Amino acid sequence: MTSIKDLSSILKSVQKPGRYIGGEMHSIVKDKENISLRFALCFPDVYEIGMSNLGSRLLYHTLNQDPAIWCERVYAPAEDMKAQMEKHGIPLTAIESGEDVKAFDILGFSLHYELCYTTVLSMLKLAGIPLLSKDRKEDEPIILGGGPCAYNSEPMADFFDLMNIGEGEELLSDICHLYMQMKADGTYSRSAFLRRAAAEIEGVYVPSLYDVTYNEDGTIAAYTPKFPDVPKKVKKRIVKDLDKAPYPDKLVMPYIETVHDRITLEIYRGCIRGCRFCQAGMIYRPIREKSPQTLCKAAKCLFENTGYDEISLISLSTSDYSRLRELTDLLLEWTDDAHVSLSLPSLRLDSFSEELMQKISSVRTGGLTFAPEAGTQRLRDVINKNVTEEDLLRSVRIAFRGGKSSVKLYFMNGLPTETYEDIEGIAKTAKRVIDTYYELPREERPSGLGVTVSVACFVPKPFTAFQWEKQDSFESLIKKQSYLRGCITDRRIKYNYHEAKVSFIEAVLTRGDRRLAPAIAAAVEAGAYLDAWEEGFSFDRWMRAFASAGVDPAYYTTRGFGLDEVLPWDVIDCGITKQFLKREREKAYKGETTPACSEHCSGCGASALGGKTRWCK
Amino acid sequence: MVQVKNLPYITLRFKFYKKGALQYISHLDLVRTMHKIIVRAGFPLWYTEGFNPKPKLIFGAPLSIGCESDCEFLDVRLVERMNESDAIAALNQNMTEEMQVTEAYYTDGKFSDMAYLGYDFRFSLVDGTRALESIAACLEREEILIKKQGKSGKEKVMKTVNIKPQIHSAKVYADGEEICIRAILSADPASFLNPEHLVSVLKNECGILKEENLAKESYSILRTDAYKKDLSPFV
Repeated sequence: MTSIKDLSSILKSVQKPGRYIGGEMHSIVKDKENISLRFALCFPDVYEIGMSNLGSRLLYHTLNQDPAIWCERVYAPAEDMKAQMEKHGIPLTAIESGEDVKAFDILGFSLHYELCYTTVLSMLKLAGIPLLSKDRKEDEPIILGGGPCAYNSEPMADFFDLMNIGEGEELLSDICHLYMQMKADGTYSRSAFLRRAAAEIEGVYVPSLYDVTYNEDGTIAAYTPKFPDVPKKVKKRIVKDLDKAPYPDKLVMPYIETVHDRITLEIYRGCIRGCRFCQAGMIYRPIREKSPQTLCKAAKCLFENTGYDEISLISLSTSDYSRLRELTDLLLEWTDDAHVSLSLPSLRLDSFSEELMQKISSVRTGGLTFAPEAGTQRLRDVINKNVTEEDLLRSVRIAFRGGKSSVKLYFMNGLPTETYEDIEGIAKTAKRVIDTYYELPREERPSGLGVTVSVACFVPKPFTAFQWEKQDSFESLIKKQSYLRGCITDRRIKYNYHEAKVSFIEAVLTRGDRRLAPAIAAAVEAGAYLDAWEEGFSFDRWMRAFASAGVDPAYYTTRGFGLDEVLPWDVIDCGITKQFLKREREKAYKGETTPACSEHCSGCGASALGGKTRWCK
Repeated sequence: MVQVKNLPYITLRFKFYKKGALQYISHLDLVRTMHKIIVRAGFPLWYTEGFNPKPKLIFGAPLSIGCESDCEFLDVRLVERMNESDAIAALNQNMTEEMQVTEAYYTDGKFSDMAYLGYDFRFSLVDGTRALESIAACLEREEILIKKQGKSGKEKVMKTVNIKPQIHSAKVYADGEEICIRAILSADPASFLNPEHLVSVLKNECGILKEENLAKESYSILRTDAYKKDLSPFV
């Protein structure tokens, strides 16, 4: 068998050949004679992106702790390498062994973004594995998926054998152990394994074990399990105590530069906020924090084993970590002397302080990013952002005084109830940031002011208060974007916005059901690959694919879903109750806010999942 | 250790090889990787001054992608002397087997004394006999021309450059099935010759390594030695 690694002439002909060679420090190579299960952790994007993914790092470490399992990494080859592989008949191989992934036991795909779906299917094609679950033979690998998109993976249901709902650390191990046990006692067959996994392991969703029926108007009538031992609803799996969860002590050290080339320290899971547009804020609940001691120990160990000069404290909203001061104090005891800087992405406007600012700028400077999300207080209340313009101006004042001259502001267009006044508010807010800069005495502000306004398009996501909302049409979004451009008159404001047509396709895929599968396959057939990249994305190709499969994209986007409609993701129980989401939706329309978990428990339902939490009642 | 301003430093020079798959790692990526390796190795590093202190690493002639080497040099500035063999062991533990240090010594020498680099090229070709003659003829020409991106004022333009003066010597011979070239090329920063340029000339002029033969034909380049101006070994 030929592996890419042996083909020097091809490696010399492609961009960044370092993506394909493996052999990195701390990558794990095992003796395959002593292995019971070969697992391929597949990331449907290029090496630099995949290597930066924290979830993949965690699972790589966790699975490889088991001496019976060898977990290897697989990334999507870039377009130029893919073309060479197709031309010369080179199959998709794993980084560590260089061996054909088709011979593996399980392929686990990280579904981190809907636009990676076409890359998943293209990778299966490169591997020579049938796309449809029902076409796979007994000796072909089990294809499973996990990650945020798994919460509504219905558009991919026909392609996957099994979906992981929730956190993978324990769930994946359970799946692997059932597989090894059934192989060892001779009871393994694809169908027997999938059936037992669905029936016995919490968090396993096997799409093929459900019948889906539809009403005359095309809406879903029901999801019915085919067997009595298959759960009606699949409950999300969580890690109960994060202090006891495995965390890597070493990181695979990429030779080439990756997107997040640093130590990432996950400080907690979940989010106390509850912004009504945010899916991550719901699906990762309940909030579970790690202790500063656990984190500091992990950080020190990772620094010694990697030599990185930056530690990033990762979570959905880092300044909401209840013991942040204790943690940063502990870290700063040694990081300054070791020439290591701390970075705290995801800071909130209302909890940003001078003290925090000094801690992160003690070694290095750079810009700061804040997310007011909407341009007026009215709309910020609708989305439950719970920050005020005063919070923003106070924060940027601290940032400017602390020597940061560039500030990036994130907003969204197309939010429910948005008016042109709200859009104009974005421009006004940015202008006030500039005014705040000039209000400071000259000696207190750094030179080179830069304000960037970055505006995304709202996509109504499953498991949010806005899951029933209609998406703004892309024509309307494009109009709003150009209106905003007209409102921004100050040359010092840089204005970026997301492509509305990309958000439209994203909405179809995130809200879609099983009837989308032929359209996704058609897009792949037409060459869709690395869709998440601007140069890989083609709106017209997607529209042709929908048309060829008889899918009306408006049905999933601008139509909106009825409050009593069966939703494609109703088969999944992520812990958050529908009643809570409906309550939140009503409050949104009344412009009422909901306090953070730390102030008051609003009874979202996630506490029923258990877990060592601080705030749930 | 917090560094006081203007600490004196001493320079420890390492000679190392970089082979196998690591030939696909660019010089810039090697620099980034090496920074992390020396931090892991726990050396008493000298840091640059200023707001963003960094250890000071100085590399010898950069090695292009697709080129292996037995002969790479790295200077590391230290604030205190450490035993050379301990330094070698500490670095090697923190590198993979395709990149290992072979020598370490303290020096005041400069990389600007490096005038030439020696390379071994090996080609595995479909029709070696024919290629041998045509490569030999190509290398003997008075002028060996390549097209290169250059600048005319601010504009980017394609320039034709004669690389013959940058080739000190080049001998071609057959070794079993393989065609080999032993070449000594200029390492002077002003007239540094990337060995890949030589391969691209042969690709264009001798009909080897054509796109359709990429899975059948291959070549390797190994940097073997470094020389001073008088062709004595560079140390």
